Amino acid sequence: MEAKPGAAPQPISLVLKEIVQEYPAPGGGITRVIDRISLEFDRPGINILLGPSGCGKSTLLNMMGGVRPPGLLAPTSGTILINGAECTDAHDDAVMVFQRYANRPDLTVYENVAFPFQLSLWKKKVAKTEWQRRVEDMLKAVGLADKKDLYPAQLSGGQNQRVALARALALRPALLLMDEPFGALDAQIREEMQQLLIDLYKAWPCLILFVTHDVTEALKLGDRVIVLSTQPATVADDFIIAEPRPRSSTWQRSTEAVRLEERILAQLHQVSAGRGAVRVSI
Amino acid sequence: MSLWNPYASLTSGQRRKLGVAAILIVLAIWSTLSGFGLVGPVKLPTPWAVVQAMGYLAWNGETSLLLTATLWSTGRVVAAGILVVLVGVPVGILMGAAPKINAFLSPLIDPFRSAPIVALLPILVMWLGIGETMKIAFLFIGAVVYLIPMVRDAVQAVPQSYWISARDLGATHWEGITKAIVPMAMPRIADAIIVGISMMWTYITVAEYVNAREGLGQLIQNARRFSAMDQVFAGIIVIIALALVTYQLMLRLKKKLYPWETSL
Repeated sequence: MEAKPGAAPQPISLVLKEIVQEYPAPGGGITRVIDRISLEFDRPGINILLGPSGCGKSTLLNMMGGVRPPGLLAPTSGTILINGAECTDAHDDAVMVFQRYANRPDLTVYENVAFPFQLSLWKKKVAKTEWQRRVEDMLKAVGLADKKDLYPAQLSGGQNQRVALARALALRPALLLMDEPFGALDAQIREEMQQLLIDLYKAWPCLILFVTHDVTEALKLGDRVIVLSTQPATVADDFIIAEPRPRSSTWQRSTEAVRLEERILAQLHQVSAGRGAVRVSI
Repeated sequence: MSLWNPYASLTSGQRRKLGVAAILIVLAIWSTLSGFGLVGPVKLPTPWAVVQAMGYLAWNGETSLLLTATLWSTGRVVAAGILVVLVGVPVGILMGAAPKINAFLSPLIDPFRSAPIVALLPILVMWLGIGETMKIAFLFIGAVVYLIPMVRDAVQAVPQSYWISARDLGATHWEGITKAIVPMAMPRIADAIIVGISMMWTYITVAEYVNAREGLGQLIQNARRFSAMDQVFAGIIVIIALALVTYQLMLRLKKKLYPWETSL
């Protein structure tokens, strides 16, 4: 059934069991990039995967989306269960939002958002009148209703990510995987997009896994923050932030927020001194 | 403004002036060489003689040899062109879409890109005779061995991110090809078709030399036999003009069909 804004979200459970990922290292040998990561999620929420760039968080996210590097067993060992079923290939429970290059330059904004419904999978699941209404609703929700006939090249970077968000949420996914979605945007646009995500989540709650290396972004958005170490990636820290969103700038300067930030940074320095980079933007 | 700046932008007026100047210089040299008898009229007719020959071919009092020849040649190019597109585009797409098909077919097709296609003509004559079938087949082979690899390259040039994104959104492998990769490759496939068709205008004369009855190639061949160099020149100029017009028309059609490509 269609989830109305504010309606009860679809039930979801996501379990990662002892995930290990290894790559053949250049010059022989094996590099372990992910080391025995186990995580469980059983309700909607914005979950942040925070770690320095190159720590393997995108690899982890791609696994959950069923996007596999060609010619490589992923994960090397361990299992991913989505609603109890093992995830081995692209599947329709999860939708991904990438940092860039996701919008089709040959399709208009409307056609980009409507694109999945041209595929047999969604054609079978969603009636035409229904998806047309969803596409219109989503375009309105992301503020692009008046730009639906433009091509992506005619939009700004932020507007392009709005299109990507609209396309993902029009599918009403139980699981939304976001790989540094706002990482390529200017600071001000990034804040607008973070607010948009908060609003969209309120209207269409789902289980979001949000990869970022931006500590401030993590504290602003996360219901739960999972800090990953690097080379190999392990879970270094995992905590809940109870403060409701939107989180005011007063809260962001509060003792609680500052402590959390220090806690994250301390973890990162401890587990990955000198490797990768995190960003704190205030 | 320095001459040596590859990124300098010219106004369309500047570009036209320089282009016209180049043509005028060639015409001037040509007129000098032929007009003052430095090169004999058997080898190099005067520009005016070529214009007169063109006029005679266009209307000799009872018929237009030029129109008949142009229609025949155009007909052959169109017929072969349709075949080339119908065969070359799907084969190229299949090769671009499936590395195994590519590995299987490329040893059969790629070598012909560097082979002298004209050398195949005697074989085609032996197999298919000297009629229309041979001429169309020759044009077809000449163009299709270029078109197929170009279409394949166009498909392979589509960034993988579009494939990953389509697959993530639930596309089957085949839908990933038909609904993401091929639409994205279309502008470059169109470029390949334009090059392929243009190439046929260069082969048409060769095709029409054999058993010449009608067509621009025959017209040139015939004129050469009677040492009517003015008519040879006229025929060549008409072929160049036709190739140019075809090229421009196809380019415009492509820009109309894929407006998004220019903004990429």
